[in-house]
Amino acid sequence: MIVDAHVYLGPCLFGYGQSLEEIRVNLDRLGIEKAALVPVKPRNYHLAPMNELVAEAVQKYPDQFFGLCRVDPWQGEAAVAEVRRGFEELGACGLYLDPWEENFQANNEVVLPVLQEVSRYDRPVVLNAGHLRVSHPTQIRDIASRFPAVKFVACNGAQINISGMLQFEARRMLEACPNVVIQTAGTYREDFLEEITTEVGTERVLFASRSPIYDQEFEMARVRFAHLSASQKEKLWGANALGVFAEPGLKPNNPESTTHLQKKGFDGRGNSTKGRR
Amino acid sequence: MIIDSHTHVDRFGWYDPPETIIGLMDEAGVDKSVIMTYGDAPDVEGSLEYIDEAVQRYPDRLIGYARMNPRGGEKAHRLFEKAMEEYGFKGLKLHPVGNLCHPGGPETIDMIRLATRYRAPVLFHCGDEELTLPLQVAQAAEACPEAAIILGHCGGYFHTKDAIRVAERYPNIILETSAMPYPQIIKEAVERVGASRVLYASDGPGCDLTIEVHKVKLAGLTAEEQEALFYRNIKQILDNVTAGGDPL
Repeated sequence: MIVDAHVYLGPCLFGYGQSLEEIRVNLDRLGIEKAALVPVKPRNYHLAPMNELVAEAVQKYPDQFFGLCRVDPWQGEAAVAEVRRGFEELGACGLYLDPWEENFQANNEVVLPVLQEVSRYDRPVVLNAGHLRVSHPTQIRDIASRFPAVKFVACNGAQINISGMLQFEARRMLEACPNVVIQTAGTYREDFLEEITTEVGTERVLFASRSPIYDQEFEMARVRFAHLSASQKEKLWGANALGVFAEPGLKPNNPESTTHLQKKGFDGRGNSTKGRR
Repeated sequence: MIIDSHTHVDRFGWYDPPETIIGLMDEAGVDKSVIMTYGDAPDVEGSLEYIDEAVQRYPDRLIGYARMNPRGGEKAHRLFEKAMEEYGFKGLKLHPVGNLCHPGGPETIDMIRLATRYRAPVLFHCGDEELTLPLQVAQAAEACPEAAIILGHCGGYFHTKDAIRVAERYPNIILETSAMPYPQIIKEAVERVGASRVLYASDGPGCDLTIEVHKVKLAGLTAEEQEALFYRNIKQILDNVTAGGDPL
């Protein structure tokens, strides 16, 4: 099974974006069976409605998608409350934090209340990682070490540096923090992905595209052409992602978790309740 | 025919013997590759000789570039001349992150002018790091309008638009596709500066050649444009070099 562990849904402030139907067309075209939907930052900066957009998409196509919720830690208690709402009402399978777009350092004190709230749940935190000033692998290591019970998923192989200068640091971080895994999307270079898979752990790498920032079809090539065994690739393609996101499950663990969606007119299976008698 | 305009062999630090790149070339269907070390001459003793030995071992597959530290002054100049005239190298590689020379600084300009004596192309590492930004490398292109300045990585992850902008401003700038992760930027580069000024490259063996070839094929180019990127442009550039042995 191919699972794309990171696909953005919605129109973004920064010019990228895609609709649910565009995502579905591409998944069908490329043979991707399941995808994690990640909210974008919209032009009005309000993340909560985007969390609802993701939840509605998951409700509509529960066999195809699972969703993450997104908060801006600078919103303080409101961000903590949105984590709670995301997990308990919207059925989010994880939290997405974007230090680059929300402009905070990944190990800044402002993040701590959010991660303390996440630690009450068994859900991973996907982190836009590898950005030199806000999510350097040393900063990922620092924050992941302080929350060893929280699983972190680092985007971009946890390092964005086209000279290869951060690969060493990213590997040290992964070796020091067993609670961190990396995504394949945009990673410099393929031999880094092969090295981490074979020398640090096959379970530590997830296929993800981060489309539409990156090209979904091209990102698949990083796994398809990797110099890895079939069994290793099977884990990268989907087994690892399902392991990270499936416990407590790709479904909400709270029977009351569809509250918001029921208000919006969906039942727990993604069917519209509008017009029912 | 595919010629890869940017790959590495080295035995110092990152260990990548020529057999590694040859194996990946065979997998990807790449006929020839431009090779260079990861370290600079004259700082890394024997680096140019290592490239020469690799080319001697695979003369039909590998083409040598000299990676130089412009701060090496006269010693660097003499070594570069030797590489071009005795070893038959075809170009100059500069990586300002390694040598801390500004692309528009006097040492770099002197080095570039020496390369232009042979009409040899100058391949810059051009990414997101300080001293390698497209607008910084463009200062070299402006100072040396006679030089063919290649922006390796086309500005990296965050500076691809700047790379295309400076290529529009300076006709002696050539864009190169390696490692940067956007097929659509290749398409945009071809549309804005023309297919004749974009080169396929991989930055292998770290970046996989098959994947990098695949990236160009996903860019939505015509067959003629692909041909230009995959070999026609670099062949024309390298055949124009006045030292370095026979045409490709």
